[in-house]
This record gives sequence, structure tokens and C-alpha cells, in this order.
Amino acid sequence: MKYKSQKVARLYFIAALVLFVAQILFGLIMGLQYVMGDFLFPYMPFNVARMVHTNALIVWLLMAFMGAAYYLVPEEAETELAMPWLATLMFWIFFLAAGATVAGYLLLSYSDLAKLTMNDMLPTMGREFLEQPTITKLGIVVVALAFLLNIGLTILKGRKTVINLVLLMGLTGLAVFFLFSFYNPTNVVLDKYYWWWVVHLWVEGVWELILGAILAFVLIKTTGVDREVIEKWLYIIIAMTLITGIIGTGHHYYWIGTPEYWQWWGSIFSAMEPIPFFMMTVFAFNMVNKRRRNHPNKAAMLWALGTAVMAFLGAGVWGFLHTLAPVNYYTHGSQITAAHGHMAFYGAYVMISLTIISYAMPMLMGRTAANSNRSQVREMWGFWLMTISIVFITLFLTGAGVLQAFLQRMGENPTPFMVVQDKIALFYWLREITGVVFLIGLIVYLSSFFVGRNEPEPEVAVAE
Amino acid sequence: MAESAVVEQNDKERRYPPGDLAIWIFILAELSVFAVFFAAYAFTRLNHVELFNEYQQHLDRRSALINTLALITSSYFVVRAVAAIKADNAKGCIRWLLAAIGMGFVFLVVKSMEYAHHFSLGVNLSTNTFYMFYLSLTFFHFMHVMMGMIILAAVAFKAKQGAYSATEHTGVETGASYWHMVDLVWLILFPLVYVMR
Amino acid sequence: MEKQQKFGLRPCTWVYLVLVGLTFVTFFIGQMGLSGLKVALAVLFIALLKGQLVGDFFMGLRRVKGLWRWPVFIWLFIPGTLITTAFYLAARAST
Ligand code: HEM
Ligand code: HEM
Ligand SMILES: [Fe+2]
Repeated sequence: MKYKSQKVARLYFIAALVLFVAQILFGLIMGLQYVMGDFLFPYMPFNVARMVHTNALIVWLLMAFMGAAYYLVPEEAETELAMPWLATLMFWIFFLAAGATVAGYLLLSYSDLAKLTMNDMLPTMGREFLEQPTITKLGIVVVALAFLLNIGLTILKGRKTVINLVLLMGLTGLAVFFLFSFYNPTNVVLDKYYWWWVVHLWVEGVWELILGAILAFVLIKTTGVDREVIEKWLYIIIAMTLITGIIGTGHHYYWIGTPEYWQWWGSIFSAMEPIPFFMMTVFAFNMVNKRRRNHPNKAAMLWALGTAVMAFLGAGVWGFLHTLAPVNYYTHGSQITAAHGHMAFYGAYVMISLTIISYAMPMLMGRTAANSNRSQVREMWGFWLMTISIVFITLFLTGAGVLQAFLQRMGENPTPFMVVQDKIALFYWLREITGVVFLIGLIVYLSSFFVGRNEPEPEVAVAE
Repeated sequence: MAESAVVEQNDKERRYPPGDLAIWIFILAELSVFAVFFAAYAFTRLNHVELFNEYQQHLDRRSALINTLALITSSYFVVRAVAAIKADNAKGCIRWLLAAIGMGFVFLVVKSMEYAHHFSLGVNLSTNTFYMFYLSLTFFHFMHVMMGMIILAAVAFKAKQGAYSATEHTGVETGASYWHMVDLVWLILFPLVYVMR
Repeated sequence: MEKQQKFGLRPCTWVYLVLVGLTFVTFFIGQMGLSGLKVALAVLFIALLKGQLVGDFFMGLRRVKGLWRWPVFIWLFIPGTLITTAFYLAARAST
């Protein structure tokens, strides 16, 4: 860590990890409710748990992205953050707003929460992933603006690197598309149409730029490969992401009342979306093979390579699986979707967050470059436990989804929904058990921050 | 011509195609999108042969001819631009590039006139499957022509600033390769959509 | 070193002229309203040939050795095969 103001990232990272735990706990609650319908009845309805699970995910990823930006932008720009105090202030506003919102979800009924927060003045509540009360959304906008201002000014006054510019582009896009969460037309087709502008254009558009920038940053730092080479890759990856991802939105417009040509556009363009993810995989392994130094932080390297592989599997392979209109006709909204959602979110965005946390945290905690060997080994156990769990969760859900599509949607006499759910309950049990392993992995991961604190850093070639 | 002797000397066998390898990876990715589009066209036609054959007749083949010639010619100009810079003739290089961009404009104008004609008849993406493909394919390509022209303009601009020479001209070759790709795609698109029946 | 001029023109100029000529052939086939599998495949073949010329001479791939010699060829080959198959099936279905 070269600049004092980078330290603010630590707050964001720690809060992100706290929310990560909350997310997983609620995932487990839901997983159990899938197979034991009255679990926690009447205190914790499924829809509330789902809301907490997904919103905690989104918010903690946003926190991690902000932390990443506060860490890497000054380092890339070679200057202190423009306004460190603003970053700290915004953190507390964000964290308290997130806490209050979750408390609202848990303590009030959703309709009471809507009344309390005066949703009828500017109705924005009630849509998946965007359930937050309007006032929380406004808070997010304020935080995002202050954040962009801070980062933007820092970049302006310092060195302008491709990584910083791509990151800034991604973050700006993130903020801009979020604005569509305030647009809530009564026409259901239009409603869904623009809802995807937030959800899809985030994860298959601007977030990929953020992902690419963070990955490139960590790879430059850990491999010492020429910036020029890495930047070139970054250019191609973002170009390909935007070309395929923007029109690829069409893969959500097959059956919602939009014109038929979307079946073609969506199928063709989204079928190409795996390309940029594949390029990222090739890119990461290429850089690591060409490395000029051996960085002592082996764990960060593992996370970086893990991201490259798992993002391709989750987004690229599992996305492709159901992205062609004739296939999606049978799989739309089934457990296949959930399988893909889990592996893609984990593989791309959870893992890139953990990558930058793994790389930056040692420095933020006052070490030179890396944690002690013991801590790193522990962290890598966490990596494997969580990653293998998510792979199995994905496989079980895929199994459930294939059966679901087959029994419920194909053949002469399709089986009714609830009957099918009973038949595939075994897969839900397996998912839940694997979810417990995931939680164990998470605990192991978190514990790595507390072991071997006083032990020396592993001795490898010199770090920066 | 004095330039050519140098040109051919520079062109010994190589392991990588001219220009930055990065642009080639990009070109491959782009070409695959078009390949899928072409195959989709052909296999969809299979179920609507009559419809495709009928509406193909409504396209303006003359415009397409002009446009094909425009792109081939501009591609040729770009080849000459590369040859010029290899002979250390930056002025010539810029002139050839500008000529190529001019041909790009011809393409855009002619194509826009075609679109104007179709739109004035009320044709749109939902008219029928043939028009859906015709409009999508050609418009996606249209965007690439614009993109290619921007790239060529950037190269010409840098050439003007003296960034390229007989020894360092990767940038010119990079832009040239992209532009040839735009041409290449059209060479298949033209017969497939306008002629083959 | 290769001889660079033939009848006073560089290779790329010859290729250009051939491309223009083939374009006119395609155009006139269209104007004459010719149809049928054989004609369609002939037109396709001409197009693939033009593509290969562009790849070899304009993009300069003919001087490349090894893997990178082939991208344009492969790109022409795969859609070319698929289009041929589709047109063949269409022609068979209609008879
Ligand atoms: C990291 C990137 C990605 C993430 C985080 C992600 C996440 C998700 C999530 C959460 C959903 C469920 C949305 C909902 O209905 O609530 C979804 C749906 C979908 N995703 Fe992705 N995705 C990613 C990339 C991709 C890619 C690259 C493709 C295509 C190749 C793809 C194809 C699809 C399709 C077709 C659906 C709709 C499924 C349905 O009809 O139910 N995704 N994605
Ligand atoms: C980091 C790990 C995880 C991520 C990134 C994640 C992400 C998500 C996402 C994006 C959704 C929405 C899916 C959709 O709309 O299709 C979701 C839903 C869900 N998740 Fe997770 N999740 C994770 C871990 C878990 C775990 C460990 C469990 C439990 C074993 C779990 C159980 C569920 C359940 C039951 C749903 C609801 C699916 C439904 O609505 O039918 N998740 N999760
Ligand atoms: Fe999507």
C-alpha cells in the first residue's frame, strides 16, 4: 500500500464480508424451507428470506467494488484519494442504510415497510433484486454519486491508466443503469423490459468491465507482466463484452410480450457472450505463465485464476446452456436458471471481490505484501470448500432443473408443478447439505484473517 | 513504382498476421458472430423458402452492387496505404486512407438510401422473417462499417502526426486488418441475402 | 524475393480487378433472375473464392506460416458448408 487514503477500503471490505455471512445464512434458511415448508413459520416467510439473501448479495458486492476502487484507483493514479473523508462518511451512510433496510425486511411486513417509507409517492418497490424501499434506493444513488465524484477527481488529478478508465466506465455504467430502478411503468411488458436494463446490463455489461479491471490490476501486481500487454487484453475483452452483452439482453425478451425478432437477436448475440469470459480465462492463465516474479501472496493468485475459470463456467457455460430461445422455452424460470445464477454470481462477482480482498487485505492490515503461510493455507482451504460447494450446488440444481423441465413442460401429459417439486426434493436436500459445507468453507475463510497474524510472510522472490 | 521494391522485401514469411495480434483475436470473435448469423439465415430460410425468395426480389440489387464495389475498392485503397507506409511514404499513406474512408461514406449513403426506401414502405423488423434477417444482418454490418471508418480515421490522424514509418507501422496494419474484415463479411453477405435463391 | 509486378500491375491490383469482375458476375446472375440449387451454390462458391482472395492478398495471410495462415479459410469453410447444407436441404424439400 503506497497511499494512506487507500486504507478506507478496509471498512468496505469488512462490511462486505459481514453481509456475505448474512447472505449465506438466509440462503440456508430458504434451502431448508424448500424441503420443510413450515420451517420458521410464521416468523420468516420465504419471500423475505429470499429478499435478504439476494439484496445482501448485491449490496455486499457493491461494497466490495467500492472498496476495490478506493484501493486500486489511488495506486494506479499514483496519488492520494481526492476526498478520503467523503469515502469514510459514505461508508457509514451506506452501511447504516443497508442495516436499516434489512431490519425493515425482517421486522415489518413488506407492505408496512412500503407504507412507512412512503412508497406510493414514487413507487419502486416489489421487483426482484430491486425490492429496497425508495428511500434506500435514493440513498444508494447519493452514495454512488459521491463515490464517482471522489474516484473521478482522483483519476483526473493523477496518472490515467487504462485500468482506471475501464473501472470508472464500469462504475459509471453501474450507476447509470441503476437509475432504471426508479422507472416503474404500469405496463407489465415495459416494466420487465426496463427491469432487465438494471439486472442484465449490470452483470453481463458494466460489471464485466469492473471485473476485467480488477482482475487486470491484481494480475499486473502479482505477475509483473508488462502493463501494455495486459491493457491490450482489457480492450478486447471490454469491446467483446459490450458488443455481445448489450444486444444479448434479448435473451430475456423471448416470452414477455416483446417483438419476435428478439428471439433471434437474443439467441445469436447472447450465444456469443461466453467469448469475453473465455478470453478472460485465457488472459489470466497466459499472464500467470508469463509471470516475471513470484508474488508471496499465493492465495490472491489462486483467487484470480479461480475467478477466471469459474466465471467462464458459471456465466459462459451455464449461461449458454439455456440461452438459445428454443431451449429457454423449456427452461425459463426453472431450477436451471437458479443453478446458473448461483455459479455465475459466485464465479464472477463473489470471486473477484474475494480476489481483491485477498490481495489488498494484508497490506491494509499493515503487512508488506502477504499473510503468513499458515493464514494463506487456511484461506486456500476456504477457497476450495466454497468453490467446490458452489459447483455441487450448481450440479444439483441443474439436475433438479432438467427433471423439472422434462416432467413439467414436456411430453403429452405434463406433471403438475407441485407433484414435480416432490419428485425432485432429493436434489433440494443435497443442495441444502452442500450449502452447509459452503457455510463451513466461509467460516474457514473468515478464520484465516485471524490466524498466523504474528508470523512472518512466506519467503518468495521480492515483492514490490 | 519506387515503393514496391521495399514493400516486397519487408513481406517475408511470418508466423503472425499483419497488425497487432490483439485485433486478430477481436476479428475472429467478430467473424464468429457473423458466421452464426449467416448460418441462422440459411437454416431459417429452409422453412420459409417461398417467403425468402419472394422478398429477396424486393431488395435493390443495384445498390448492393455499388456497395460491394465501394467496399472492395476501399479495401484495395487500404492495401495501398499499407504499401505506402512500408515505403516510408506517410503522405501517400494518408491519402490512400482518406480515399478508403471516402468509399466507406459511399457505402453508408447508399445503404441509408436503401433503408429509407424500405422504411417509407413501412417495412420493419416485425414485417416478416426475411426482412428481420435482412435488416438485422445489414444493420449490424453497417455499424461495423462505421466502426471501421473511425479506426481508419484514427490511423490517418496518427499518420499525420508522424507516428508511422517504414520500420514502425503496426498501427496501420492493425486498422487495415479490421477494415478488410468488414469487407470480407460483406462479400458473403451480398450474395447470400441479395442473390442466392 | 517474389516478382512483384505482372504486366506492370502489382499483385494486389490484379486481385482487385478479379474481385470486381467476380462481383459483376454475381450481380448479373442476380439480374437474370437465375435460381436453383446449382446457381445458388455457384454464387456461393464465387463469394467464398472472393473471401479467400481478400484473406490471402489483402489481409496478407498468404505470407503467414502455421496456425495463423488459416483463420479466414476456416471462417469461410464453416459457414460455407452450413449454407450449402441448408440450401441443399431447401432444394430437396421443394422437389
Ligand atoms: C457473471 C455473469 C452473469 C451473472 C451474474 C448472471 C446471473 C443471472 C441470474 C441471477 C439470472 C436469473 C435472473 C432472474 O430471472 O431472476 C440469470 C438469468 C439468465 N442468464 Fe445469466 N448471468 C450471467 C451471465 C450470463 C451469460 C454470459 C449468459 C449467456 C450466455 C446468461 C444467460 C442467462 C439466461 C438465458 C437467463 C434467463 C433464464 C430464464 O429464462 O429463466 N447469463 N442470469
Ligand atoms: C456465494 C454464494 C451464493 C450466491 C452468489 C447466491 C446467489 C443467489 C441468487 C443470485 C439467487 C437468485 C436466483 C434466481 O433468481 O434465479 C439466489 C437464490 C437462492 N439461493 Fe443463493 N446464493 C449463494 C449461496 C447460497 C447457498 C449456500 C444457498 C443454500 C443452500 C442458497 C440458496 C438459495 C435459494 C434457496 C434461493 C432461492 C431460489 C428460488 O427463488 O427458488 N444460496 N441465490
Ligand atoms: Fe442476461
